[in-house]
Formats: sequence, C-alpha cells, structure tokens
Amino acid sequence: MTTAAFLCLFVLAVAGYLWNRQAASAIRANGTRLHSLEGFHGFYALLTVLVPALVLILLWQVLQGPVIDALLKGGISERLDGLGTGEVQLIVAEIKSISRGAVFGTPEQWKFDAAERYVTLNMRSDTLLLVVVLVLSLALVVFSRRKVAAEFRARHGVERIVSGLMIFCSVVAIFATVGIIASLMFETGKFFAKVPVTEFLFGTNWEPQIPLREDQVAAEGAFGWLPVMLGTLVITVIALLVAVPVGLMTAIYLNEFAPKKFRAVAKPFLEILAGVPTVVYGFFAILVVAPAMRNFAAAIGVDVSPNIALAAGSVMGIMLIPFISSFADDALSAVPQSLRDGALGLGATRAEMMLNVLFPAAIPGIVGGVLLAVSRAIGETMIVVMAAGLIAKMTINPLDSVTTVTVQIVTLLIGDTSFDNPKTLAAFALGMMLFIVTLVINVFALRIVRKYREAYD
Amino acid sequence: MYDTPTLERTVDNSTVKFSARDVHVFYGETEAIKGVDVDILDKTVTAFIGPSGCGKSTFLRCLNRMNDTIDICRVTGKITLDGADIYDKRIDPVQLRAKVGMVFQKPNPFPKSIYDNVAYGPRIHGLARTKADLDVIVEKSLRRAALWTEAKDRLNEPGTGLSGGQQQRLCIARAVATGPEVLLMDEPCSALDPIATAQVEELIDELRQSYSVVIVTHSMQQAARVSQKTAFFHLGDLVEFGETGQIFTNPKDPRTESYITGRIG
Repeated sequence: MTTAAFLCLFVLAVAGYLWNRQAASAIRANGTRLHSLEGFHGFYALLTVLVPALVLILLWQVLQGPVIDALLKGGISERLDGLGTGEVQLIVAEIKSISRGAVFGTPEQWKFDAAERYVTLNMRSDTLLLVVVLVLSLALVVFSRRKVAAEFRARHGVERIVSGLMIFCSVVAIFATVGIIASLMFETGKFFAKVPVTEFLFGTNWEPQIPLREDQVAAEGAFGWLPVMLGTLVITVIALLVAVPVGLMTAIYLNEFAPKKFRAVAKPFLEILAGVPTVVYGFFAILVVAPAMRNFAAAIGVDVSPNIALAAGSVMGIMLIPFISSFADDALSAVPQSLRDGALGLGATRAEMMLNVLFPAAIPGIVGGVLLAVSRAIGETMIVVMAAGLIAKMTINPLDSVTTVTVQIVTLLIGDTSFDNPKTLAAFALGMMLFIVTLVINVFALRIVRKYREAYD
Repeated sequence: MYDTPTLERTVDNSTVKFSARDVHVFYGETEAIKGVDVDILDKTVTAFIGPSGCGKSTFLRCLNRMNDTIDICRVTGKITLDGADIYDKRIDPVQLRAKVGMVFQKPNPFPKSIYDNVAYGPRIHGLARTKADLDVIVEKSLRRAALWTEAKDRLNEPGTGLSGGQQQRLCIARAVATGPEVLLMDEPCSALDPIATAQVEELIDELRQSYSVVIVTHSMQQAARVSQKTAFFHLGDLVEFGETGQIFTNPKDPRTESYITGRIG
C-alpha cells in the first residue's frame, strides 16, 4: 500500500514537471519572455509536489504505529483495566503475533477479535494514506501549474526549496551530535549522583562491581578512572611508537626516494592495510603477535602476562601506519617543487633536502595527522577488546596486562544490564571522558594544521 | 633601443668555463635540445634568449645537472667545466651543484629565517668551522646580493616574509654563499616589478666581477642590458651565439633577426 502511495506520488510529480514545463514552453512560444527557463518551472512543480508529500508519508509511517496501538488498546480497555504496563505490553504483542498468523497455545476469543481489528486498522490506515497522498499531490500539481506565468520566478522558488533541503541535511549532523552529547551528559549526571566526581576523577582503583544482595561482602565497587585511562595511554603510546616512525619513514621513502614501480606496488598495499577491519587486527594480535611475544619472552626468561599490552599496542600501531603515512605523504607532496629545486640547486643531497627543507615545511600537516592518529588510538575498541586485559592496574609496564577505557565500556554494557546502578552508568561516565579527551585532541590538531597551513605556501 | 647599451660590453676575459659539444636532451621520446655547441666564458654574463619552449631553460639545467632530478630526462653529448666532463661517472652532481649555483624563476626562499636561508649551503657543505665564520659568510653573501642593509636587523625573521624582489635577492645571496664559480639564473626577474628587476640586473653586473653568470631571459631588453654574450635558441637549436651587441644590431641568421624584431616568438 505504501509502495502504491510512493508510486502515485512519483508519477504525479513527474507529470507535474512535464505539465509545468510544457505550459512554460507554450508561454515562450507565444513570444513572451519568461523570467525563468522552462526547466525551472518543471522542477518547481516536481519539488513542490515531492517534498511535502514525502514528509507526510514519513510522518505517517512514524506515527501510524503508536496511534494504531492506542486504538487497539482503547478497543479492549475493559480487559486491560488494572494490569501493569508489562502485562499490557505482553497482551499487545500476543495480539500482534496472532494477526500475523502465529498462534501459540489457545488464546481467548477476544484476542482473536482484537487481532482482526488490528488488521483492519492497519489496512484502513494504509488506504487512508494512499488517498491523502493522492489528494495532496494532485492539489500541489494544480497549485504549481497555476503559478506558471511569464513573470513567475520559478528559479528563485527552486533555489529556495533546494537551499532549504541543504540546510536540513546539514542540521541533521548538528542535531545528531547535540543528541549524543546530551544523552551522554544525562547518563553521566545520573552516575555522578551515585558516585562522587572526585572519586571518579582521582580514584586509582577501578573495580566496577556492585552488591547483588544487601548482605553481600567484599563487593563494594570502586570507580576511579585513572588506572583505566593509564591503560589507554600505555597502549596509545606503544601504538604511536610503532606507527609514527614506520609511517613517516614509509611516507618519506615513497614520496622522494622510491622508484616508480615500487611506489605503484606499495601504495595499494598501504590502502589495503587501511581497509582491514579492526576485528581482523584483533585476531592478528591475539593469535599471532601475543603468542609470539610470550614465547620470545619465555625463551629469554622474562615473565610476561598473557594479555600483554605490547601486543595490542603494536598491532594498533600497524593499523595506524597507513593513516600516518598517507597524511605525511600528502603534506610532503604539498611542499612546492620550487623548494626542492632550490635545495638541490644549492648542492644538497636528497637526504639533506628532505631533512632540512621538505620535512620542516611539511611538519604542520604531519603533526595534524599524528594527533588525529592519537585520537583514533584512544577511541579504538575492537583490537583492545580482543587483545588487551580486563583488570585495571596502575602500571605503565608494557609487558603487563592493561585495560582501556573502551574495553571497560564494552564489558560494562554487555550482558544483563540495568540502567539504574553505578556499574552500568559508569560506562557513560567513561564514554564522556573519552569524548572529552578525543575532542580536545582533535580541536588541537585542527588548530595546528590550520595555523601553519598558509605559512609555507 | 638595442643599440644603446647601458653597460660596458668588452669581454675582458677569454677563459672558457663551460664548454658544450653536441648536447642533446630528450624528454622521453621528444628531443628538447638538438645538438648544441657553446663555450661560456669566465667572468662574463651570457644570456640565453628565445621563444618559450625553445629549450633554453632545459639547456641551462644541463649545466648543473638539475635535469638528473627528472626521471624521463636523458642528456647526451659532452659538457665540460674547466675541462672536466660534468657527466662523467666520477663526478658527484651534488658537488657540481655546489660549484654551479642556481637562481630560479620564482623566488623560493626556504621556510626558515633569512640567516638560515643564506647559511644553508655553507652548512651542508661544511664551509664554516665556527659560528663566527658562518656569520662572516652570511654577511658577505647578503652584501653581495645588496640585501645586507635591508636585512641586517631582521636576520631571524622568516625569509618568506620579505617582498618579492628581496626574496629573489635572498635566493641570490643563498646561491652566492656556497662560493660557486658559475651562477645560473633561470628568468630571475620574471616575477619581479621593474624596480626590483633593476636592482637584480645591477647585481648581476656586479656578480660578473667574480663569477661566470648564465641568465635565461624572456626580455630582450634585459639581455641587451646585462649580458656580454648572447645565445639565441629556437626549437631546440642554438641558432646564433656571439657578442650581445652584434646579436642585437647585426644578427647573421634571419631567424635571430625575426625574433629580436618581434616577428617570431
């Protein structure tokens, strides 16, 4: 039914387009000068019909469910009196499944009647939608047709509608951001109502459990985020120690020294590396890198923990290599050829040119890339969920097992959760902190990139 | 106007600095230079003139092997500097470029301070033992390039902050600082206004006291003003080479005459 509505709508819109265009052509054929070209008259009709009707269909789809549910409940209100919300929900769900033909057990007759009513209501709603859409679009076609005149500014109308659409699209992102921040802040506020801010910010103990029963012993939770954040930092630092040198060297080599053939092979490989899903990096870390490191450590007689931070960090570093190398490559390529010529013309070797001229000129771009890589490393989840540990420790030993903010958020939110205890809410507080940290780094990175961008043109 | 040279034109030196024999340059399949023979004298300004795309810049870049940096470029023939083949395998292009300085069409100061720009060459070639030595070289080079009075109080400011003409003189100072024997200039005034151009031209005449200068220019007036010898290139051929006065007043080749009177270009 909805498909039919869409179909009608599109047919009418196209008809409106053709009708308006033809009408405008007719005016022009009479020798009158049109303000707008025929095409704009056509598009004016198309947009005037499509936009309101599509909005109507969307709203209808969203509101139809709740309205029909309310009508359904209204029809059997005497049966639902005195029942809790949970039970009402169960009954409504049962009626809906009966209406789809899935009958379990032997429901009472009134439920069958209600299911029948539900089907009728749905059908009526669909028919009504079709009729309303038809009437509305027809009205709009006629409305826009009557607008066609020599002096009618159809182009301005089209431009206004299109700019309205663009405004709407750009506002979507803003609203999404605001919505995410608001929900984070709301839940974080609930968390801080149960756990003091100071304990969270300055506590060095992270044991996010809560007593299941009143009399349970030794289950007093501790919510100090410092060890968790420290773990994130340890892994980030390891990742950067791998990614920054390797990425920069790769970029420098590919940009300046590599023969064309090597570059043609290496570049696609870097792009493949950038396209590997993080969960695959996770396998790699847990099945290849971590055992290798453990065996090596055992061979030289060093005791390491099973979830060694070095494994997760170095694999994350590999993930970041293409990120940094492509940023650095772009930054180096952006340095004008005249500077290269200038250095070479003075008798600089390629290495001297790279080190003294190109690299300093490209530094802002490279720093920006590295900072963006930092915020990715901090927010990276899958690799550490698979390869890092779960126990928060105040340690910076890369051979130890550490946990990260993202790992803790995942573990706090999987399984049975209820949103009224500090254990679950702690995830939101951690998410909030993560958000703040990466936001600060991103802003900082963009500032650096912007500030020095013009300086070397 | 060409027959009223503003500068003395006598070539008081006949030592050959560069000598090119049967030089061909290929960009992939296209032949950009088709067999050029030329002798460039010491302590002389030699101008290369000719229409765009005639190969004069390409030939200039052969003289310090800057063409090596272009992958598809191939040079054949023989070019000697003080009698030594510069395309010999034993010659390090990096050392050659320290001896043969180059100034480019667009001023290209490094994004560093004025001081560091000038000190760049001496530093990478280890020309100064101490900071004081380096200071002396920087001052001397900036004086040479007639930039000292303007720049001496702002040596630590970025070279990119200077005006276009000052930047080009800074680039000349930078090239001079490595103590070259030859200065190659690829249209050094094409991005400058007339006043800056006049300053740079005056400078070129002074540089002639110590160096052999080769300048590529689009402006025939400029060639007439600054050079003692002129070479006219056309479609990859060296059409005519001789005393500047003779080229501009009494060209032997009809193509040269057409070009300097504005019929081809």
